[in-house]
Amino acid sequence: MHYKKEPCRNFQRGSCQYGERCKFLHVIQQQPKSNAFGFGTQASSHQQQKPNPFGFGVQNNVQSKGANDFGNKQNQFKNTWTRSSASSAPSLRQPDNQPQATNHQCTDPELCKRTIIEDFEHERPLWKLTCYSHWKNSPCDIVGDVSFEELRATAYDDAKHGLSLQSIVDRERNLLNSKLVEFENLLRNPYTGPVGSTLAQQIPFPTATATAFSPQNSGRSQNGFPPSVSSFSQLGASLNSGSAVRPSIESNNAFGQPISFSSSAQASSVFATNNIPLANAFSFGNQQPNQSVAASFSTSMSSFSNSSVTSTALNQFSAPVVSTQNLSLSSVQPPALFNVSNLISKADGQSATDIQLGSNLQRKIVSGDSSIWLKEKWIPGEIPEEAPPDAYV
Amino acid sequence: MSNFLTATTLGNPNPNKSFEVSEPPNDSVSSLSFSPKANFLVATSWDNQVRCWEIMRNGVNVASMPKASIMHDQPVLCSTWKDDGMTVFSGGCDKQVKMWPLMSGGQPMTVAVHDAPISEMAWIPEMSLLVTGSWDKTLKYWDTRQSNPVHVQQLPERCYALTVKHPLMVVGTADRNLIVFNLQNPQTEYKRIVSPLKYQTRCVAAFPDLQGFLVGSIEGRVGVHHLDDQQQSKNFTFKCHREGSETYSVNSLNFHPVHHTFATAGSDGAFNFWDKDSKQRLKAMSRCSQPIPCSTFNSDGSIFAYSVCYDWSKGAENHNPATAKTYIFLHLPQESEVKSKPRIGTSGRK
Repeated sequence: MHYKKEPCRNFQRGSCQYGERCKFLHVIQQQPKSNAFGFGTQASSHQQQKPNPFGFGVQNNVQSKGANDFGNKQNQFKNTWTRSSASSAPSLRQPDNQPQATNHQCTDPELCKRTIIEDFEHERPLWKLTCYSHWKNSPCDIVGDVSFEELRATAYDDAKHGLSLQSIVDRERNLLNSKLVEFENLLRNPYTGPVGSTLAQQIPFPTATATAFSPQNSGRSQNGFPPSVSSFSQLGASLNSGSAVRPSIESNNAFGQPISFSSSAQASSVFATNNIPLANAFSFGNQQPNQSVAASFSTSMSSFSNSSVTSTALNQFSAPVVSTQNLSLSSVQPPALFNVSNLISKADGQSATDIQLGSNLQRKIVSGDSSIWLKEKWIPGEIPEEAPPDAYV
Repeated sequence: MSNFLTATTLGNPNPNKSFEVSEPPNDSVSSLSFSPKANFLVATSWDNQVRCWEIMRNGVNVASMPKASIMHDQPVLCSTWKDDGMTVFSGGCDKQVKMWPLMSGGQPMTVAVHDAPISEMAWIPEMSLLVTGSWDKTLKYWDTRQSNPVHVQQLPERCYALTVKHPLMVVGTADRNLIVFNLQNPQTEYKRIVSPLKYQTRCVAAFPDLQGFLVGSIEGRVGVHHLDDQQQSKNFTFKCHREGSETYSVNSLNFHPVHHTFATAGSDGAFNFWDKDSKQRLKAMSRCSQPIPCSTFNSDGSIFAYSVCYDWSKGAENHNPATAKTYIFLHLPQESEVKSKPRIGTSGRK
């Protein structure tokens, strides 16, 4: 009738008790194999199938309490449940057929990889500044969450300090690009397991850890990062990848001058310290340097901005610095060193890697610092104050 | 829907014909909270204000009257009422919590501080404590009469979401941690799990029967999670707030206080009512022209308040303060929308 016909789940499993009376379609295997797993990990494949304008399992079309539409017995195929349909229908019936996947061990990297590919192809959320795991209940493959409010708070704070809208937009875009690069890398490189297998462990605060890159780069050098891809060069590409980051505001607003997002004009210096949400999140999280690429990291945190900039360089002891910009969300494994490098740079009188969103200076500073450990002889004043990471010992 | 947000002036902000609250804030609303005792609504906003309206309901007519407001120094992110319905707590980017005895006309005073913006808070009547979660990765419990917290609980990551139903408390943090606390023993994590969803946690809501909680993420998905190991088979996730290939964030999860069904609100500007026990959507409301960052039921579930305004889900670029509009709407849920229904399918699959 006016309902779409849905395949019968029981029939596909081989046991539908309704037989011919069944109101669902007894066809074989129209659904992709991921059905057995129900819940929408691969639900994406359903998206293009039989889009149901009425929405599966939606009572809303029936305004009254009675299930009028369902009273129609001829309408065999009104599906009150479905496993997934990304169009509009919410499908609640995605039972957790698998045991709680806390034990997902990524024993088959190929499968994991495929899961990642499918996820990225079909279920990329609109908000890109997010962590990600290819498997529910598993630790993150990509760390480094930034929430809407954090981004907004930083933007408002920037505005209060006089930054123009355009530079705020640029900063956000840089952040976004770095994140997209991370996702790209996860997609491209052989999958080697989530960032940290010991997620359950509580990390002493604030020595948080971050290692988004290690698993992805295990293929190459250890503790490596994404190749020297300039996120600027990807600007065009990543802009097309779904995030709505286009500069379209200039003409609309008279934002040549510093904007104030809110009515308050107080220039609070709250965020001048490292309480900036982003910076905070990115605060100089340390991590005990670990050699093993993936597993031993306990991840619960990512270091952004300066941290990441410095740490990135530090990690790649002799490798080129990563393209990630200042606010890059490229969480790397910052060895304890990287905190030191700040001290070093300060001690040296170089411009400290303070939380300035926008200077590329840091990168250079950092590069210098990272070689500290490789130097044979230290000049007084540049002796690191902390022990070198194990890598160097 | 790439023109979704740019067309804020074109799309209908109120396709559901909800009642519009008068004198909304000048910038986006970050939280909405009804008094537990009466129909007083508090909204916190990015314009640094905490506003209160009295909502009067007469049958199907609803009227709102602005009552009072206070200001913070920075955007306010969260709010909660004390159980006596006399006092409101609010906190945000200024890293402080103000206690405002608004019903008695008192002045606000600062009762809590953190090292970073306070993203979530809840009043726990059974303990007479305020719990606050912050981006400084701690939870702090406050007896409002003392300036130091009663207890500081370290979190693995920044607090993004919080829900309390004594003695169950669930905290969602960055990087998909979900930490469950038994408030009878708040110093110990009862359980820590990794989210059943694959992306950033956005909101959590504890079941009224305390058996588990809901978790919503930015990927347009909600997870239903039971705490008891024996009930793990009842866990499931479902997709929502998606449009075509676009996947919007689920910004708010609210249980109906009476029927124990729940509502979701998302960045797609829609809100839906669901029944987790029969696993169905009870009602899908029409999409508003802007995202819905927050929503709440009143104490008896007769009013559902939601805000339609920009939630930053597309960054600073899509924020135009000159033309941005903020709305707060009140929807009177019909029984069919929020009352549990048996699944039509299961009872014989007619």
